[in-house]
Amino acid sequence: MNANNMNCAECRDNLVACLEGLLEAEQSRQCQAHLESCEACRAEYGAINRLQERLTARGRVAAEVSLVEPVMRVVCQKQIEPERTTLMSLLFKSRWGFGLGAAASAAAVLVMIALAAPRAQAKAADVMARGARAIAKITHIHLRGQLRTLPADNFSFIDADNAFYPIELWKQFEPELKWRVEKPGRVAVMDGQQTVLYIIPGKVAVKFPQPSSSAFDTDWLQRIANLSNTISNELRHAQAQGWKLGLTEETGADGRLKTVVSVMAKSGVPDDDYCKNALFMTADTRRVYRFDAQSERLEAVQIYLTRSSGEVQIFELSQIDYDQPIDPNVWQLELPADVSWYKEPQKLPDNEKYASMTAEQAARAFFEACAKQDWDEAGKFMSPVTDGLKEYLGGLEIVSLGQAFASKSYGSRFFVPYEIKLKNGGVKKLNLAVRKDNPAGRWQVDGGI
Amino acid sequence: MNSLQQHESPEVTDGQHVLSSRDGCPDHFRLLVQRYQRPLFAYLSSRLGNQLEAEEVAQESFVRAFLSLKKLRKPESFYAWLLGIATRVLKEQFRDVERRQKDRAVAETLLAESSSSEPEYPLEEAIAALPESYRQVILLRYYEGLSCQDVATRLGMPLGTVTKTLSRAYALLRQELKARESAEATVK
Repeated sequence: MNANNMNCAECRDNLVACLEGLLEAEQSRQCQAHLESCEACRAEYGAINRLQERLTARGRVAAEVSLVEPVMRVVCQKQIEPERTTLMSLLFKSRWGFGLGAAASAAAVLVMIALAAPRAQAKAADVMARGARAIAKITHIHLRGQLRTLPADNFSFIDADNAFYPIELWKQFEPELKWRVEKPGRVAVMDGQQTVLYIIPGKVAVKFPQPSSSAFDTDWLQRIANLSNTISNELRHAQAQGWKLGLTEETGADGRLKTVVSVMAKSGVPDDDYCKNALFMTADTRRVYRFDAQSERLEAVQIYLTRSSGEVQIFELSQIDYDQPIDPNVWQLELPADVSWYKEPQKLPDNEKYASMTAEQAARAFFEACAKQDWDEAGKFMSPVTDGLKEYLGGLEIVSLGQAFASKSYGSRFFVPYEIKLKNGGVKKLNLAVRKDNPAGRWQVDGGI
Repeated sequence: MNSLQQHESPEVTDGQHVLSSRDGCPDHFRLLVQRYQRPLFAYLSSRLGNQLEAEEVAQESFVRAFLSLKKLRKPESFYAWLLGIATRVLKEQFRDVERRQKDRAVAETLLAESSSSEPEYPLEEAIAALPESYRQVILLRYYEGLSCQDVATRLGMPLGTVTKTLSRAYALLRQELKARESAEATVK
């Protein structure tokens, strides 16, 4: 290349990189050479340069400003005070029946007093508002509990027939928002800069290069950590959607008086939906919040799945540490050297072939690729295909595939019923979850294996 | 719903943050404050010519925004709406000065001084008119002070995409500034 072979279009394409000092030496030289010889491009260069200088100056003015904490302190205060009044008045005005009969039977072992309904309404609102106020200024929280689920599955996944597994959350509100949620088979960490999920059995990790207040279906637990909002939300929903509230008082094991508020929450998901009661957001639950009457702080939470066959406890929050120092190592996530990173599917040269498939066709193509152990092909439907998955699905035999169906309650996923025979002779019959809301528009396996 | 459930992305757009904040989740509002504190402060600082007052007005604007979130019709336009709130708080501030000092001339001088400190149209309003993906890159590059490479890492995009996005954002900003400045000149 000679010194003058960059034309106007190429020069303009490279102007920003040139101004940022990001061009290779030769490219930079060519760009400068073109600028020297072209008045129009020189004018464009000057205009961008002036705008950059203006932007840099504006950024410099604000470089030291730090408004997050002062603003959030006021926001938290403002949020609680008016709500207390509003909710109190709403509750006084409403004429709900409190579900004391149903709620008390399973929730409160040591029930001493069941307050009359009108008084209970006011008291429930007051207890919750006080509970919210009591923890409004916390900077750190640590929750430890147990959940009936599968250890490595989605954080929101509920399996009422399964055993309890421990689940823990650490959250720092100040000086910078950070959080970590962990159960035996998966960990999610937001260290203030990025959000990472690590799925332990498959050694698969997913990274979002930005902070987030909640991700990877941890929202239900994050909300419990944001107690002041959870409490006011429960009251708001109770008022808006007719959820039943219950209020009892009891003496705790420590001999202190406890106030117990229970909320019967309906997900609104139809009973015939495939995802009904499989996730926190699709489940009908009764939540029991136990407050210490003296400190007014929340001490424990129990959540019960309410089904036609009866109630099953699915979650128990047994330990809440307020403002206890959190070990900085909690925000570090140690990943193994051979971790496989999830990559969002990108368009393939023959992308259209895959993008035009139906959910059933995609499920078939995926299983057929597994049957042939064609992992490049299988990788077009799932990223990454881990060694464990190759071992599990390699050489399978398709027995049957059914018609895809959707779950209105669970985003854009479709489910394809399937029955496969594994190479070890085992038969698996389930629904393969697939979705195509990605930049490539290709069906991707999202669960159900 | 097995262990490969991987796609639950963090709620990152302004619109999503607004909806979650409305739902009583202030951590989302915290991230909006984090995102816009600097451009808002720079905007107010240019208008007021006083950083201490700019900080106070910015805080008040964020709090008012939080309390009025339910009134925001287009959650994706949070930043432009926030600037509108800040402008109203500013006007109140000027009126307050006027009332306190009972001297219209003082307020007028203050207004004149503030506008003379930024002879050109405030950049932050033009930035508010950018599509969110462009605005995000501009804010990270100039108000968060990240290098292009750091912006690329933060947003998980190739370096070339960052410079192309910046290039497009500059073009839109210049277009917006030109339109607004000439409109302002016409009014004057």
